Order: sequence, then C-alpha cells, then structure tokens
Amino acid sequence: MSLTRRQFIRNVSVAGGALTLGFQLTGCSGKPLQLGSEADFQPNAFLRIEPDGTVILQIPKAEMGQGVITGMVTLVAEELEVHPSRIDYAMAPVHSAFGDPEMRLQITGGSASIRVYHEILRQVGASARETLVAAAMQQSGLDRASLEAREGRVRSVDGSVDLGYAELVPVARTLAVVSDVALKSTDQWRWIGRYDQRVDAVVKTDGSARFGMDANPEGCLTAVLLRCPWFDGGVESFEAVEALSLPGVVAVFATEFGVAVVAEGYWPARQAAGKVQVNFTPPGGGLRDSATISAALDAALDGEDFASVRDEPATVAVEQGTRVSARYAVPFLAHAAMEPLNATCRLTADGCEVWVGSQAPDLAQDVASRVLGVPREAVVIHNQFLGGGFGRRAAADNVAEVVAIARELKRPVKLVWSREDDMRHDWYRPAMAGAIEARVHPDGRVSHWQHRIAGPSINQQVLPVMMGAMLPQWVPGGPRQWVGDFVGKKDFASVEGSKELPYAFDGVSVSYRNVPVPIPLGYWRSVGHSHNAFVVESFVDELAHAAGIDPLDFRRQHLPEASRHRRVLDAVAKAANWGNAPPGRFQGIAVHDSFHSCVAEVVEVSQVDGKVQLEHVYCAIDCGQVINPDIVKDQMIGGIVFALSAALHGEITLKDGAVEQSNYHDYPLLRQTDTPPMTVVLVESSAPPTGVGEPGTPPAAPALANALFAATGERQRRLPLRLG
Amino acid sequence: MVTFTLNGREIELEVDPETPLLWVLRDHLQLMGTRFGCGMGLCGACTVHLDGTAIRSCSTPLAMAAGRSVTTIEGLGGNHPLQHAWVEHNVPQCGYCQSGQIMSAAALLAANPQPDEESIRQAMSGNLCRCGTYHKVQQAILSAAAVAQWQPAGEDAS
Repeated sequence: MSLTRRQFIRNVSVAGGALTLGFQLTGCSGKPLQLGSEADFQPNAFLRIEPDGTVILQIPKAEMGQGVITGMVTLVAEELEVHPSRIDYAMAPVHSAFGDPEMRLQITGGSASIRVYHEILRQVGASARETLVAAAMQQSGLDRASLEAREGRVRSVDGSVDLGYAELVPVARTLAVVSDVALKSTDQWRWIGRYDQRVDAVVKTDGSARFGMDANPEGCLTAVLLRCPWFDGGVESFEAVEALSLPGVVAVFATEFGVAVVAEGYWPARQAAGKVQVNFTPPGGGLRDSATISAALDAALDGEDFASVRDEPATVAVEQGTRVSARYAVPFLAHAAMEPLNATCRLTADGCEVWVGSQAPDLAQDVASRVLGVPREAVVIHNQFLGGGFGRRAAADNVAEVVAIARELKRPVKLVWSREDDMRHDWYRPAMAGAIEARVHPDGRVSHWQHRIAGPSINQQVLPVMMGAMLPQWVPGGPRQWVGDFVGKKDFASVEGSKELPYAFDGVSVSYRNVPVPIPLGYWRSVGHSHNAFVVESFVDELAHAAGIDPLDFRRQHLPEASRHRRVLDAVAKAANWGNAPPGRFQGIAVHDSFHSCVAEVVEVSQVDGKVQLEHVYCAIDCGQVINPDIVKDQMIGGIVFALSAALHGEITLKDGAVEQSNYHDYPLLRQTDTPPMTVVLVESSAPPTGVGEPGTPPAAPALANALFAATGERQRRLPLRLG
Repeated sequence: MVTFTLNGREIELEVDPETPLLWVLRDHLQLMGTRFGCGMGLCGACTVHLDGTAIRSCSTPLAMAAGRSVTTIEGLGGNHPLQHAWVEHNVPQCGYCQSGQIMSAAALLAANPQPDEESIRQAMSGNLCRCGTYHKVQQAILSAAAVAQWQPAGEDAS
C-alpha cells in the first residue's frame, strides 16, 4: 500500500490526537485547561466523566447547523460504549488542545470537521473506555478478557461484576490513561452510519437553544453601531443631542468602527440611532459601482499579467478542432444568515469576556485582545450556537466592535446588528469573471482547454487577519499583509474547482489575475467552488452540445472509469431517470468535487408558455463513510437550496461604494413555496469520511443553467439566472 | 401600563407601547426563544400567536397586545405534537428560524387540522430558513397533523 501525502498528513494528525490524549489536560502551549472538577475522570481535553456518570464532550468546532455536534458525539459514543443521546456536549473554550490539526486555528471551515476529527474522536472514546475497564479490572481482580464495556457499564462475562461508569470514575481518574487502543472494526459499529437523530434537536424546538443573540450577562445594555456606508470611510463628526434625550438611551459615542448608540434594550437604541446625525469622511475613488467593477473584471480578462496555476500543453495541433469560447460572470453575494451578527462583551479585571457564535473563537480572542490592548489569555470567549454561519462567522469584525464599545462604556453590552447592517457590511463572496475556451474534435475529444479567471482575492484580505491569531502578537501587520499580497497573486480560493478540472482533456491551462476591490470579501459556502463549478460545468455542457453528444455521456467519456465522478454521475442519472424526462420536462446535469467529496446533481425544470419552473433536484454524493445519513442528506438539500437562492436571486450591487440591498425583500432567498422536491442518493463507500457542509452547493447553479439551456436553447452565462 | 396574557399568565408592563412585541419579549421579559431576523416582517423568525393567530412580533407594537393573549415558543411547553414531530424528523439545522416555523405551523394546524401539502407550503411561505429545512418542515407538519390536537396555554378553543 502506498502512503500518499494526504494519508501521511492524516496519520500525523491522528498522532497529534494521540499526543493530546497523552498530554492530558494541556495542549502544546502548556497552558493548563480548567474544565469540571478534580473529582471528574478527564482522560483527555475532549472528554470528562463526572462522578454522577454525566459524560461531557467538548466540541472543538462551531455548530452552525451542519450537525457537527451530533457527528462528533456519535464518533465518541461508538467507542465509549455510551448511547449518543446520553452524552452531553459543551462548546470548547479557546485552547491549543482544540486547534484544528490541519489549519492551526480553532476554526470551522472547509467542511473539514469530521474528516479531520473522525479518527481522533474515536480514539478519545476508546481510550476513555479502556481506562474505565482498567479501573474495573483493578476493582474486580478480573482480567481484560473477562470484562466487556457496553451501554455505559463494565460487566463481567459471568455476570458477577456489573459496574456503571459513574462507579468507576474515582478509580479511573487515578490511573494512567490507556492509549493506542485498537479501534472497533466497521462491522462492530452500532451508531456510525446508523444513528439517525440530532442531539441538538430538542433545544432547537423548544426555544431554549442559546445563540449569541441570547447572551445576557447581568446589567447588560444594548448597542447599535452607525457605520460608514462605504467601506473606505470613517466617522468625521456626529451630533446626538436629540438621541440622548430619548428615554432609555444611555450613551452615544464614536469608536474606531462607527458611532455607538447604547440604550436599555434594542428598540430604544435603534430609535435613538435614527436621530443621530453622522458626518462620514468623504468616499475615495476607484471601483465604487457594480457597473465599473464588472467592466474592470471583463477588461482584466483581455489583459496580461495572469498567474498560471495549471499548465499542461496539448499534444495535438490547435488547428484540428473547432474553437468554442465563452465569457462568464458572477456577482457579489451576501451570506444573509438568519441570525444577524451580534456579540456581547463584559470587561473583567484584566481583560474581557465575549459571548458570540463564532466559527473562529481564537480569531475572536485575538481580535478582542488587540482592541483592548491586553494579552490574548485575558480574553475569554464563550462560544454559542450559530444562527447560520456559511463562512460569515469566520470573521470577527462584530467582536472587535463590541469590545471597542465596552472599552469606552465600561459596562456589559450586547451589540446587535440590524438585518440592514448585516446585508450592507458583510464580507462578500467576490464577483468574478471568466474567459474560457477549448477545441472540440469531430470524435468528441477536447483539447486546448484554457480558463482565465479575473477577480478579487479573498485571501489577500482575510489571511493577514487570520494570521494575527496564528502568530505571536508582536509580529507586526506589515509582513502579514505581505503574505496576503503574495498569496493573492495565485489565490487558491479564486481558482479552486477550476484548477482541479477532472476531465481528461488534451492540454489544460488555468490562470488567475487578481483585481483588488475596496470591498470586504470572505468565505461563502464552498468559496471558490461556488463560482468555478458554475463556469466549468456550464462550459463543459457547451462543449457537449458543440460535439453533439449527450451531456452525461460527454462527461463520462472524459472521466476515468473508476473515478468517483463517474460513480456519482451514474447514481444521479439513475435517480433522475436521465434521458427520459417526461414531456415538457427538461434536465441539466453537473458534477463537482469539493472538500474531498464528489457530488453530481440533476435539475429538472418544466416550461409552460415560456415560463420555466423548478420541478425536482436529484443529487448523489460520495463523501466516504457516512456518519449520520440523515444529516448528510439534509446538508445536500440545504446546500442546494442555498445555491439555488443565489442562482435565481442572489446579487449584491454597489453604488457610490455602498451596498444597495438591505433586507430579504431586495436580497430574496428561496421560500417554502419556491423549493422543489429533492432526492438525495448516498453512494456507498468505506473510505474515510469527507466534507458535507459545502459540497452540495457548487453543482446546483450549473445544473440549473444547463437545464435552462435544455428547456429554452438559450445559454445564460451570468448569475443570477432568469427563469424565462 | 399595558396588560396582556402571556403564555397563559396575566402580566402588566410599564413599557413604551410603541415597542415591538419582539423586543418586549426578549429585552424586558427575557423570553429568548422568539428570534430577531429582519425587523420588517419578511422572515418570520419572530412569529408568535396573538389570540391564536400567527403574527410577526418584530412589527407588532406592544399596544396591539393590550388585553389580548400572546403565546410564544416557550408557551407551547415542549410537548406540542409539532415539537415532537420536529425532533423526530430532525428538522432543525442551525435552529435559529425554528421557533418561528413551529409557531406558524401551530397556528396553521389550529385553523386547519388536516392541511394538504399545498396549504402547508402556502401557510409556511412567510418563514425563511437559510439552512433549507423546508422539506423537513413540511414532513413534520404532516406527521403532527396525524396526531391528536393540542391546546396551547391561554388560547381559546374557538
């Protein structure tokens, strides 16, 4: 068996997990982790069993709906031999023991949580179980072979010993933790791949789940912030006499992020904010309108200065094929999570506490410490449930703001963004443009695939911020920005999903040109895949039609026979009865690999009197070993709804440097009445688990565009798409 | 002074009657289960019942509740057939919109105990879910409709 580089990294991460176990309650930083009491059995940083038998798992990742808590609890439960519903969970504090083994930050992103942690967490459960069994051996005098752990108890085969884990805690906590335990084989699994509940479902149906918005430390006031509408401006002056006279208003003051209006509750704060007159610094020049940005991206496609990210020369002469070429464009997009951004801060003797739903609590900690001018260790982050994340909550601008407000106010305060704030001050999915061409040969072969991508780089902006939390705080901002600028030249987030073109075409070149814009950019569910899959899979469809070959057959012809792409294509084609759509129905297909998972989708539309309607979406995914089938299906459907909202409606536009959209009426999402039925097929696999949070999103827009072409004969190359 | 019935209990409040009911619930009464989503009645996250009818509490002034009966997600008590169906079907993902979804669904079932799929879609079209749980919402309502009707605290049987 050959050990690929990725496997090597994976194995090292697992070893890292084992080390965490060995180190008990300290991570690599050596800073002790205080969880629970001394009477608890705490075999490692993740797991703790209290003397009454309560099992608590620290969740090192953010729960934003993707089901990470349920997945992680299931993995631990399997080896610990405790039913998943009997394991309590807590959002892990910021600590190096909880840092992502691949990403260094305690960040939730890249659909990586289960892929990275599945073996570590099973090891966490197995090691705790074996230590409990060792305690039972000591108490009973029996050997390992005579004892069995099951349903939270250790029993002897002959029935003479029957001890609950609670009874074993006092001894287990004094023993050396048993490590390097052999994990169960797949045929011994009781819950992995079978457990079909969500452990956080009850608190999310009775109103008791606590989101960042629900934090309420004693004496907490509410703040709203008046930010400069354009992104390169600040506050020049403000006037708040009338606002301050309103009942419930406590203070109005300027911070480096805008004018804070603080009151006893959101409503008086918002009312008073409407009475504050703010003069903002005048806007700068440059790319300030959607039209000029689109024109600049399009013009950039004609220019030079592209950085090559893949370059495989063709073996045939270019004259032999028919040239097919097209230009594509996608707009800026907002995340529009249901919970508007917010954060709550209380100053402490040496720093502060922050309550926030964050995808990157260590980044939040770093940002807060910089605003307050205290060491990171003086900032305590209480992570909450996230009312949607989708990448937006990997940024910590809301945390910086609330800490700045608390710093001046010196009282506990919750900053609440309005929906309008959230829409107009997002970190947007960038607008991108693409020029793509290829040669189609009479026998259906394709050569000279050239894809040029022009658009702003997310990582040029975001990496310097992220690195602030990864490096010692004395490292100045200059070198961090230099790294951002360097990475921005060939930003992987701009080319992912294009660079990895899976088709066996003769000659593939992919290149990128960074076109900076003065607009904050961020990771949006599936990031670069969200636009590159649209361009690549639409254009592959164009090539299929140019070659006169069925789009499914065309794709299959150019994909390796044993590939995951072929498998998911075949699975989705079967589910959708591809090629046999009922009269008046039209189908489009797309396949895309992202976050180590492969997904194919078929969108079926109807057309009546020139009006097109979505009828059904079919989806097949290969994500390796499935932990919770129901959650994987939900992630596919949710990812498709997310993609279709963008494909049909999503467009953030700018005028004079400010975002024009404000709320769900001018940035609409799919509603119950707009969402077609869907069918999801999970392709069976025993490979290690891979991502599910994002991979459902990329294929939906091209599958829809391809279905629209099938229905109307018109190729739409610009998002959002028009239905008839 | 505004007096109204909240989850079956009479309460009196000294709050500006123009304050939206949402912020009265969240900021004055610390009932955090009702969510703020858009502030314009566009997303349904703030849905509660006013005399049994689903309303958007973000755009309903407290004055409108005077002398009337308000039920929030906390008032459903956790044993409503919809709440059981929601758990059984694993409806929530992030969960933020689900209080509003359930309150809209409860008002629907009170008015129409056996809704078909189309009336469910129509009744629920005012509740946005960014996670895309719409199918599960529909399935859960259909399965809850199959069990006995339930009366929330403080709501008339009429």
